[in-house]
Amino acid sequence: MSENNKHQYAFFLGCVAPNRYPGIEAAAIKTSEKLGIKLLPLKGASCCPAPGAFGSIDLNIWYAMAARNLVLAEQMGMDIALICNGCYKSIWEVNHKLKHNDELRDGVNEVLAEIDMEYKGSIDVWHLAELYYDPKIVGVDRVAESVTRPLTGVKVGVHYGCHLMKPQKDRHFGDTENPMWLDELVAALGAEPVQYRNKMQCCGAGGGVRGYDLAHALDITNEKMINLQEVGADALTEVCPFCQLQFDRGQLEIHDKFGITWGLPILHYNELLGLAQGMSPDELGLDLHAVDVEPFLRKIQ
Amino acid sequence: MAVKKDYKDQKLAEKLRDRKYYVSDTNPEFLKEVEKIGQTAAHMCFQCGTCTGSCPSAPRSSYRIRLFMRKAVLGLEEEALTDPDLWLCTTCYTCTDRCPRDLAPTDAIMAMRNIAARRDIIPRNFLQTVQLIYKTGHGVPNNDTNRAARKKLGLDAEPETTHKYPEYLPGIRKILDHYGLKERADRILAEGE
Repeated sequence: MSENNKHQYAFFLGCVAPNRYPGIEAAAIKTSEKLGIKLLPLKGASCCPAPGAFGSIDLNIWYAMAARNLVLAEQMGMDIALICNGCYKSIWEVNHKLKHNDELRDGVNEVLAEIDMEYKGSIDVWHLAELYYDPKIVGVDRVAESVTRPLTGVKVGVHYGCHLMKPQKDRHFGDTENPMWLDELVAALGAEPVQYRNKMQCCGAGGGVRGYDLAHALDITNEKMINLQEVGADALTEVCPFCQLQFDRGQLEIHDKFGITWGLPILHYNELLGLAQGMSPDELGLDLHAVDVEPFLRKIQ
Repeated sequence: MAVKKDYKDQKLAEKLRDRKYYVSDTNPEFLKEVEKIGQTAAHMCFQCGTCTGSCPSAPRSSYRIRLFMRKAVLGLEEEALTDPDLWLCTTCYTCTDRCPRDLAPTDAIMAMRNIAARRDIIPRNFLQTVQLIYKTGHGVPNNDTNRAARKKLGLDAEPETTHKYPEYLPGIRKILDHYGLKERADRILAEGE
């Protein structure tokens, strides 16, 4: 195995990245390769399934559906890497619960037996962003070394989202009030991560609220926009395509519903990393974004 | 943007305006169910309100997570399950991280939603997601615009999921059918037409 694919993972895609922002998928594969991470297709994976929609109806169905995705990776004998906080909640959390709760695992395996599958608990699940931050896998220094086109002169707000780090006691990310690790990863690209009010606030979309009451969800998004504008952010970065959808397409909806225009470019961290590693906006599919990314690109010195 | 709460169901509106507590309205089993499904000791809640103060939904609606915690503890099942606010939790888990009693109000909400769902109280958008996953494996499926964009990026038109390998769909449908979820989604959505 060469140095460049020392770390191999089954790449869990989810829904929003491959089916709405495929640039994130393309960027994740290419940028990770430059950091020594090889992402292999997880064939036949489905929706994680959406923790809000499925978990709200019946947690047991959510466990069983997520477990099927986990078994596909177990059959490959590979840990899962993924790029979405919502997927992280389903795939990481169900894996964690099934590993530590025999009763739950037995219940899930009874259902999986109907499709000749068995959950064994033999793999782990990671968000790509945490692998980038982990010095044992990549580390901030190596991320910085991979940069060929530093993003100097731009201020970037960081949105950590909810389901990666919270609830804190079940996760391993530490402080959820004012975390800085993702800010460090942004600084490694040459951009200036800016601190803004209520940075840990939700994007508004989760828990099925985007579909249940769009104006309510958008009002939460709008509050984040106000707080980001206050500190002069040139863009917002996140590690969740569903948050991206809410912030990016949500700005059009905010315009339609509330008559407010923000025009704040929204970039998944992998898209930002791709830019810093010299990928072109076309290679990253930035033209698929609802909010024009051009003003941000022009500001990079 | 806070709007005045306006229930179409007049009986429900009256009921919610009545602040009195009637023992005959309570079901002690409700608390036990919430605690079991939510895996959290809801009865330890001392109503400090840190949850509501941390909630992104609270400032823009009448949704009060503290109130739902109280209703769970008092066994006010009917009030909790029929309140449309139950579905305004974005599940951000900020209340859970800040709760001084180390409870998980978010998971108590999820439990109440699960119990509501048993009675077919489920918002339409949740059920539409179920239908999409049954059909395609994805809650947000591919489309032609996106297929063209994928090809331009050097990716295959279909991602390496059930989209490219539909032979995995029967397995997914079997899991959903085991719980009768697709049939329920179809029925409830049809009834609402």
